[in-house]
Amino acid sequence: MTRYNRATGTLFVLSLLALFGASAQWLKTTERQDVAVEMQVALPRSVQVAVAGGDRHLAANIAAIRALWVDTSKMQPEQFSVLARVQEDVAWLNAAHEDNYYAAAAILPWSGELDAAQRILQAATLARRFDYQPPFYYAFNQLHFRHDPIGASRMLQDAAPFLPDPDEQLQMQNLAAIWLERAEDPDLAIRVIESLAKQATRRDFRKYLEMRAARLRSLQGLQSASETYRKRFGRELQSLDSLVEAGLISVLPADPFGFGYELAADGKVILRNSPVRKK
Amino acid sequence: MIHFFLSAWRAGLRSRSIQGVLLLGVVLVGVAFLSASFSPRQPKTVALDVGLSGIRLSLVLLALFWIQELVANEIQRRTVLFALTYPVPRAYFIVGRYLAIIALTALAAAMLGMLLWVAILNAGGGYQQGFAIAPGIAYWSSVVGLWVDAAVVAAFALWIASLSTVVMLPLALGLAFAFAGKSLGAVAQYLTEAAGSDATATQFAPIVEQLHWILPDLSRLDWRAWPMYSVEPAPEAVLAAVVMATAYVALMLGLAALAFGNRQFE
Repeated sequence: MTRYNRATGTLFVLSLLALFGASAQWLKTTERQDVAVEMQVALPRSVQVAVAGGDRHLAANIAAIRALWVDTSKMQPEQFSVLARVQEDVAWLNAAHEDNYYAAAAILPWSGELDAAQRILQAATLARRFDYQPPFYYAFNQLHFRHDPIGASRMLQDAAPFLPDPDEQLQMQNLAAIWLERAEDPDLAIRVIESLAKQATRRDFRKYLEMRAARLRSLQGLQSASETYRKRFGRELQSLDSLVEAGLISVLPADPFGFGYELAADGKVILRNSPVRKK
Repeated sequence: MIHFFLSAWRAGLRSRSIQGVLLLGVVLVGVAFLSASFSPRQPKTVALDVGLSGIRLSLVLLALFWIQELVANEIQRRTVLFALTYPVPRAYFIVGRYLAIIALTALAAAMLGMLLWVAILNAGGGYQQGFAIAPGIAYWSSVVGLWVDAAVVAAFALWIASLSTVVMLPLALGLAFAFAGKSLGAVAQYLTEAAGSDATATQFAPIVEQLHWILPDLSRLDWRAWPMYSVEPAPEAVLAAVVMATAYVALMLGLAALAFGNRQFE
């Protein structure tokens, strides 16, 4: 190599180095794209199976881990519909996945994804005949969200004979009878959520469920005060503030999720602004 | 035949690339152990599930590497000609090699199976699951199922090796076969469910249905629901899957023996 060529080569390398340095500095000044890392996409089932090398169990685990480790308290309503799809995919890949049906029961019905939760719980009921929980949560959702005590009771009755423990069979049949009468009982809802929270091993998830239970407890207090108001004044409540003005409660309870409570058209106090599924 | 078996057995144990794949298996069992921490309610079940997926992948890779090393490379390097100087039919070479490879795979399955079991026992810390995993026959039946799965893939790769002149072809086609065979069950179910509502699915469902004539459904050799959820597979389903796999292996060995017997070595 001649001296001229060597000098050109060195110059070329130095100019590349300078270009790299300048571009790296330039890059530092440009803003980083802010991507919300929560649920944004649900891959087609065939792609999930392909990514797992044809192994649907592995695909189920990958999707379940993804669904379980999102921070639900930071999610937007539309992301819950993606979460619901991911969890339904897990149920399709491995209907018996315990973490999946548990998380589905704990999150989806409370986030406007009742249909998905019920499909997941139904699949888990059929795949896990030894487990009382999927039919129990299914029946609870049917009772609490769909106001369908007959459907709830039927699910419990159908699932009971398959349970391996005779005591569990009896308890489930007993519930089937009791729940026929308890379509809209906030106390039942609170206890179901508290039992889900007790089983949660992740601290943040337990906190999330406890917040949901606290919210329902406040709702229960407001509904009870509203009932007293109706009896005392002989008319329906017009605004929640009237409860404070009438001295039935000292202050309006704070909603841990920040949505608050409101009056439905029939004068009943309800939770405000549960994320509604976008069609 | 025993000579071909023993020479392959020894070479298989010595081979370095195989030790690498075995190491991969150990790493995958480690991944299974760690995956338990992602499960709030069933850490041991998830560790078992991921671990069995890891064992399946490792066994298939091991079987394919052994086919590559002990059959395809011997043909490529012409060292197979020394073996063929024995006064025995050429089919003996094929069958002897195959038996050695599935014996080596069985050894690997036993080792990885024991390792995974130790990992599972220690996975998830002291957490008591609501539903315990099933040890013993349920667990080892699943490992045997994965071994049969790898044996079917090995038989297919052996047939490819017996007629291929491209040395990497058995490995590449073997992997594709393992992937397609394992996916077949899920794809067929998906298309059957979607057929009627989805035009593409309706179009492809009959084609995938016909695939069952040439491609074994390897997902039917996966009995892991038994150790994971104590859901015992139906005996006739296990029997049908084993008969199907054995018949396919015999078919592949027959085709390989035919191809190898007629092969011209220059």
